[in-house]
Amino acid sequence: MKHKIRFTINGEVKEIEVQPNKTLLKMLREDLDLIGVKEGCGAGECGACTVLVNNKPVNSCLMLAVEVDGKEILTIEGLSDGINLDPLQESFLKHNAIQCGYCTPGMVMSAKALLNRNSHPKEEDVKEALAGNLCRCTGYKRIVDAVLDAVKKGGGK
Amino acid sequence: MMAEGVKKMTKRYVGKNIFKVDAREKVTGNAIYTEDIYFDNMLYLKIKRATHPHAYLRRIDISKAQKLPGVVKIITAADIPKVKNFGLIIKDQPVLIGIGQKMRYMGDALAIVIAESKEAASQAIGLIEVEVEKLEAISDPLRAIEKDAPLIHQDGNILDTYYLKKGDIKKGFAQADLIVENEYRTSFLDQVPLQVEAGVGIFDQETEIIKLWVATQWLHDTQADIAQSLGLPKEKIRIIQPVIGGAFGKKEDISVHIYLALAAMETKRPVKLTYTREESMIAQSKRHPFIIRMKTGVTRKGYLTACQVEVIVDTGAYASSGPAVVHKGLYHCTGPYNVGNVKGVAHIVYTNNTYCGAMRGFGATQMAFAYESQMDIITHRLRIDPVQFRLQNAYSIGSSTPNSQILTLGVGVKETIKLAADIAGWKE
Repeated sequence: MKHKIRFTINGEVKEIEVQPNKTLLKMLREDLDLIGVKEGCGAGECGACTVLVNNKPVNSCLMLAVEVDGKEILTIEGLSDGINLDPLQESFLKHNAIQCGYCTPGMVMSAKALLNRNSHPKEEDVKEALAGNLCRCTGYKRIVDAVLDAVKKGGGK
Repeated sequence: MMAEGVKKMTKRYVGKNIFKVDAREKVTGNAIYTEDIYFDNMLYLKIKRATHPHAYLRRIDISKAQKLPGVVKIITAADIPKVKNFGLIIKDQPVLIGIGQKMRYMGDALAIVIAESKEAASQAIGLIEVEVEKLEAISDPLRAIEKDAPLIHQDGNILDTYYLKKGDIKKGFAQADLIVENEYRTSFLDQVPLQVEAGVGIFDQETEIIKLWVATQWLHDTQADIAQSLGLPKEKIRIIQPVIGGAFGKKEDISVHIYLALAAMETKRPVKLTYTREESMIAQSKRHPFIIRMKTGVTRKGYLTACQVEVIVDTGAYASSGPAVVHKGLYHCTGPYNVGNVKGVAHIVYTNNTYCGAMRGFGATQMAFAYESQMDIITHRLRIDPVQFRLQNAYSIGSSTPNSQILTLGVGVKETIKLAADIAGWKE
């Protein structure tokens, strides 16, 4: 039996019916076409599917869609208006913190959650906040540099 | 003319911060990876895999699975008698294992399920009944080379043997004041690209062209391999490269391609196949584990005189790029150090493990574990400085490698060692 849920997604209120066993990841990708949310492992290991639920980063592959009833979700698609990028996204571009790009949306969202709760994080804070996000192209240094530079430019305000 | 062109290019790019062409799509979540491709009326595939790592397939019953609502078609080897083996260097890998044929590792495919949904396809896999005649499963290459070991492939478990010879190994060891001999073993490693093997296929009935959206590292070799396997001309196979999502060697091999092509031709509908991470680990290539027996000779003053090496490499159930990886590994047996007298032999061996292929370094990294360990053990035994020891043996312009290649360009090993020692604060 499907459940009717109501939530805010990237600033827009939505009401849809979902199967109780559907993950948040599947709902975002399959029902809402938010393909920027990536599946890397489907088991909460890689962080590629990270989105913010009520401002907190979650692995959307480990959360059931019905659990977001009444909550607010932000995905990579909601971070910019399509023309002006978020300072974090600008910084990822500038520092070439992107290789294959598959981890990038999750990385950016984990960094966003950090800046939401701490506007002046230190390098160690950034590393801790990104500890659940795997990059297999081994680009961690540039990613950490990009987040710290965004903080310096006021991205964490 | 050319110098001017180089200069111009230098001014445009070198030392400048150039944005990657697709970085904006990637950072906004708009980049289209294979898993993001969707067509209306699309069907989903799932592969029934081997139930034992080394066994004859005696019976396969798809009747229950076929009755499951949502299942469109199940393809087994009986449906594709003309389809040929595939493989990067040696065509030793079957598309589907037929009755009376042998499964050689847990990734071998027994059937392709085509269904209206991923869920139906997954459920159908569990309803396929398989009977096998089990053989001894060989997971250790040292067991595989024993005389009484069952043969994994007809021509024997040693796929090939390569030799290396430079100078006079006897003379080299005679000149040595210290000889160090050890055995080293490296392990399997998965490349783990974040986007797993995935693909979408469409059969265009008008042109009879099979279109495949699959990330690959060898676009044209993959196209040729699919074509020879299916018995079609190359121009009937069109591969469209989506955003790759990491590969690191793992996407050099055929994965979903031929299954997609067969299913698209069969159903005339768009078809999609995405491996699970677990399936990717079981079915697709690994870094080769090496067993390396290395004997190194050195003078009291710390100059290398001889290197003798025997390598046994587990390539798993199929060859993939194994022959090239092992060749390259053997040629790197001394690392970036001058050794006048070298003798080497490498055996590449089939086992029932997941097959091994390309991964970053292509055989050179495994060997580094052995020769650098030897270097450290030698400096410990001779009580000499490991940085100085490496510097005095390191390659420079004019050096010759174990396969007697004379280096004429771009030898930066001494600078690298010095810089690494500085950064590590070695002198302190």
